[in-house]
Amino acid sequence: MRRAGVLLMAALLPALAAPPVVIRNANVITITKGNFKGSVLLRDGKIEAFGEKIVIPSGAEIIDAAGQYVMPGIIDPHSHIASESVNEGSISVSSMVTIEDVLNPEDIAIYRALAGGVTTAAIMHGSANAVGGQSAVIKMRWGKNAAGILFGNAKPILKLALGENPKRRGNPTGQTPPRYPASRMGVEDVIRQAFTEARNYRDAWREYEAKVKRGERALPPRKDLKLEPLVEVLEGKRLVHAHCYRADEILMILRLADEFGFRIHALVHALEGYKVAKEIAAHNAGATTFSDWWAYKMEVADAIPYNAALMFKKGVQVSLNSDDAELMRRLNLEAAKVVKYGGVSENDALAMITIMPARQLGIEDRVGSIEIGKDADLVIFDRHPLSSYAKVQKVIIDGEVYFDRDRDATERTAREREKKALIEKARERQKQSAAPARRPS
Amino acid sequence: MKSTILLLLLSLGAAGVHAKPPSTYAIRGARIVTVSGATLEKGTVLIRGGLIQDVGANVDIPADAWVIDGHGLIVYPGLIDSLSTLGLAEAEPADAPAGQRRSPPAAQQTPARGPEDRPATTSWLRAADMINPADRRIESARNAGFTNAVTFPQRGMFAGQGAVIALAGERPGDMVVATPAGMYLTLSTAGSGGFPSSLMGVMAYIRQVYLDAEHYKLARQQYASRANGAQRLPYDRALEGVLEAPRILLPASRAVEIERMLKFAAELKTPAVLYGGHEAYRAADVLRKTGTPLLINLRWPERGREEDPERMDSLRILRLRELAPSSPAELAKAGCRFAFYTGGIPMRDLRKAVKRALDAGLSHADAVRAFTLSPAEIYGVADRLGSIDRGKIANLVITDGELFAERTQIKYIFVDGVKYEPLPEPAEEREANR
Amino acid sequence: MTRTLLLIVLCSFSLRAANSDSFLLRGGTVHPVSGPDIPNGAVLVRDGRIVEVGAKIAAPKGVRIIDVKGLHVYPGLIDSASQIGLSEIGSVRETNDAAEIGDFNPQVRAIIAINPASEHIPVTRANGITSAIAAPTGTLVAGQAALIHLDGWTWQEMAIAPSAAMVLQFPVIQARSGSRARTGAVPFAEQKRNYERRIQELRRFFEDARRYQKAKAAAPAGFETDLKYEAMLPVLEGKLPLVVQAARERAIKDAIAFAEREKLRIIISGATDAWRVAADLKARNIPLILGPTLALPAEEDDPYDKPFTAPGELYRAGVKFAFGSFSTQFARNLPYQAAAAVAFGLPYEEGLKALTLNAAEIWGVADQIGSIDMGKWADLIVTDGDPLEVRTQVKMAFIKGRAVDLSNKHLRLYQKYLERP
Repeated sequence: MRRAGVLLMAALLPALAAPPVVIRNANVITITKGNFKGSVLLRDGKIEAFGEKIVIPSGAEIIDAAGQYVMPGIIDPHSHIASESVNEGSISVSSMVTIEDVLNPEDIAIYRALAGGVTTAAIMHGSANAVGGQSAVIKMRWGKNAAGILFGNAKPILKLALGENPKRRGNPTGQTPPRYPASRMGVEDVIRQAFTEARNYRDAWREYEAKVKRGERALPPRKDLKLEPLVEVLEGKRLVHAHCYRADEILMILRLADEFGFRIHALVHALEGYKVAKEIAAHNAGATTFSDWWAYKMEVADAIPYNAALMFKKGVQVSLNSDDAELMRRLNLEAAKVVKYGGVSENDALAMITIMPARQLGIEDRVGSIEIGKDADLVIFDRHPLSSYAKVQKVIIDGEVYFDRDRDATERTAREREKKALIEKARERQKQSAAPARRPS
Repeated sequence: MKSTILLLLLSLGAAGVHAKPPSTYAIRGARIVTVSGATLEKGTVLIRGGLIQDVGANVDIPADAWVIDGHGLIVYPGLIDSLSTLGLAEAEPADAPAGQRRSPPAAQQTPARGPEDRPATTSWLRAADMINPADRRIESARNAGFTNAVTFPQRGMFAGQGAVIALAGERPGDMVVATPAGMYLTLSTAGSGGFPSSLMGVMAYIRQVYLDAEHYKLARQQYASRANGAQRLPYDRALEGVLEAPRILLPASRAVEIERMLKFAAELKTPAVLYGGHEAYRAADVLRKTGTPLLINLRWPERGREEDPERMDSLRILRLRELAPSSPAELAKAGCRFAFYTGGIPMRDLRKAVKRALDAGLSHADAVRAFTLSPAEIYGVADRLGSIDRGKIANLVITDGELFAERTQIKYIFVDGVKYEPLPEPAEEREANR
Repeated sequence: MTRTLLLIVLCSFSLRAANSDSFLLRGGTVHPVSGPDIPNGAVLVRDGRIVEVGAKIAAPKGVRIIDVKGLHVYPGLIDSASQIGLSEIGSVRETNDAAEIGDFNPQVRAIIAINPASEHIPVTRANGITSAIAAPTGTLVAGQAALIHLDGWTWQEMAIAPSAAMVLQFPVIQARSGSRARTGAVPFAEQKRNYERRIQELRRFFEDARRYQKAKAAAPAGFETDLKYEAMLPVLEGKLPLVVQAARERAIKDAIAFAEREKLRIIISGATDAWRVAADLKARNIPLILGPTLALPAEEDDPYDKPFTAPGELYRAGVKFAFGSFSTQFARNLPYQAAAAVAFGLPYEEGLKALTLNAAEIWGVADQIGSIDMGKWADLIVTDGDPLEVRTQVKMAFIKGRAVDLSNKHLRLYQKYLERP
């Protein structure tokens, strides 16, 4: 019996614990612990050690990264990939919806983002309405199912949206009836109303609980999925990311949050954030922005590529986001633009796509830098990641290689072959179904 | 058209002329595929009063029984189409995939402003109250061996309550075997720009409705126990319908949808049945673990005839088209519960569709089960339908060869103990369909 | 901070230099593009034109010397596809002048609608782009594209080629009708019919133009001038290239067939799938305007890096191309389109050419711009490194020998809010 148990253990062990991985001879950019030339040791999905000289455990899988650059996996704090929905824009307050319900782990955009060095992304509700939905934080574990791509224990996030997008339905061009709000004034009103309702709702539950405690007969309030996440915001259990562009609306949402006693964890886009950087910093809000988008609509007429640098210089935690499946593939070059426009240091620029977004998502204890005990989420570039010519060679998530440029090339051929065969088979099927069936005798 | 009238006359004649038509039959010396137990190579089925009175190798045949010589014949339980709109006046919408149909714009005059407006919800509709025996598809299905169908209103998110019906009967009431059979849900949006306008909105709505139903039930109980002095409760027909449903049917075709809906069903704390199932070959594990039954659509995915011939389909789609028919075999192997539904394919294509599942490794016995006992079990009517056992309703299909084999012909169909013989398809139609 | 100050100093220096379009640049590495790099080279400019390029040029008397030691001199970059000057704010209709109503507008000219005061001009040239194609975007024959310098008091002063090409938006069959395909709203047969109708209309228009051409040549009494057909004459005579917008394989193939039949000189622009038909393009020597390279693969199953590798493949197939931004707000990022291609297999020199000399050749202005060669306009940029690298700063830029202001709205707002107490 005991023998069988030992055998069983022996059989299970290799499956449970993959061998440790050592990346060596690499130019390591830790983000928070300096840069050096040396190795990183990964074990059981975590970073176990790093340094110029480390002891390589026996049986370790070695990745030689001579001449290459290793940095923490890129984190995109605002993306819409891997989801079958973006907006529930039919109503002004849609906090009952959650992206987690509709994750699509088979979206090819995941693989493409992975191949661009992204390991974690926050999949956000869109900006069609003032109070949007709940988001989902995922890792680019391509090949896993919906549950398998979830970051796991990430803090929940609620999306708010200000400015032109949420008021668009208030000024419809087609035949749809207008939906409140139609102005920035109304946008604030909707948000204030929603949080006021949430307060009343919370009070109703408290009253009910008090009654129950006193042994009184009481009907519990109706559980309202729209208001529950807002109550979580009021109680500090849910982060808030607010889509915004102009300085006026940024200030508005900061003041509104102050009034209701919660914090805005990230001002999303915030292209005029540089105009109110002082206020943003004072609220301790983060800002996640585009490097150089401008002029696509009126509210970004004053957008400048120096926004990230300027906010950063004034003490704001700044990150960069893609909001776009294509841009998501080259966030490292977005970081390079922050060096170009405003002269942020290279390390600080890389922090804007790693540790800073991690903080804005409340996951900085697990990802965003190369530190002992953190998730083994790394990307290996063939050149310095801020170079226009840098190509991602390997991407590691939880210690497992999810992207490998050589492997990609091999798989390509296999996939093409399979595809050809399947097309042939489908053609055969079609021929058969078109052919006359034999008449029953 | 002519043939329908003829048949109508025939059936009316049968009912009208004989107040009590002879109801005792004995099918003697046939191979009997009981489905519930071992197949009898040579046995007899005795039918009386619309029920199977006896079945076995040695059955005493009463003197009044009309004997059918079963030599060379095979007796199967009548087939059950486990998800259909048979008998419902509204025709099946064109071949839009299940779960993606749009709600009729008429259902939503003003855009819904939230869950409270109960958008695209008709949970109170009962298929049992809407049966139209004159639906011409009934005869066609019966000729193909179907004696029963589970039929549902299918428009909107909460479309309505289904019913198990018999595919024969003069009056609507004659046809209903069991009701309600379950609530049919789709994940279609509300339309007209109202709530919900996205898949996640639909899911949030369904979730809220179940919470509301729970609360409604509680409130109703409290009110009933002491109405005097309490504020009266509004009546919510949407929630009444939801509370009445013994189970819900959720659409899930791709593997990701199957996993999503299994998780969702667990959250709703309601017994669920999934329908669609084309990519179930990738989800056998999770289906077995949850024990949730799956209804598999026999309309296998293929490239549409109206699609751009130069369009490149993705490997993902190509794989699905190739492997969808392997889902039943994979599920059978894993020990999952599943049944078939025809998905509105023309009955003449049924054998071809089943053949693809058989070619992909499904045993013939499992295929028969997926059309008989499995759907009966899934809908909780296995005490009366789905197998050839004493006491069950005498719904049988009698063939001259293995069911679904290309040359097999159906000789007789019994529905509630009444014998039907399939009429040959009109010749020109037969040609036209080739 | 010091960096910014330096920039400001440089800017004001450039402004002061602007009063003269004759100077000698020296001390930097000169990258003529048409020939090998010249370390510690010099470029002599007189009256806006390059008069000498070399390792050692004696400074003529009275000519100002600009020392660019440690810096690099490149020809100004050319954006071969944009709406610069035609579009200011994407979503504000009133600020957009790139599209006209109607299918056949060969007579409309982008050049006269270029707003020389557009904020996009200084923003774009600040990153080393000194000239650009500004193209109309309407349906079918959309109008005449202009090749402009990104400097000038008026559009007239900006014009390099006021009519650089006729723009044709080639009709497409919607290969994917998205969610509509699901409901079967537009069956393929119907889409194809619509498409064939469009092609027919297009052919008829060209035929009508030819009949007009013939009639005009015969000069019958009472011949009336028609502006539309008149505008088509240079196209029919092969004097003006037809730039055909065609992205997907079918459209590219059909566009090639159309050009064959109509015997037209074409340039294919926005050719996403060009790599699928590289041999055809090479066989007919049809040049391409590529881009955007920084794009997603067109098909789910395409390799993730297809848009990056395609330019290299086209180069190896012998197809000539230049890059375009296909944008206004992102026109300044043009060099990074080339960088992505270079990272994935396009030789660096070819990437640079596709931003300069190739573009000039394709647009028929290689005698004026595109390289640092004698006789060409002195469109020069001075950088602290490789212009394809994001981190590289453009330190000076000259258009027609005039030092241009590298400041712009963005820099001004930055400086203003940097000082906010």
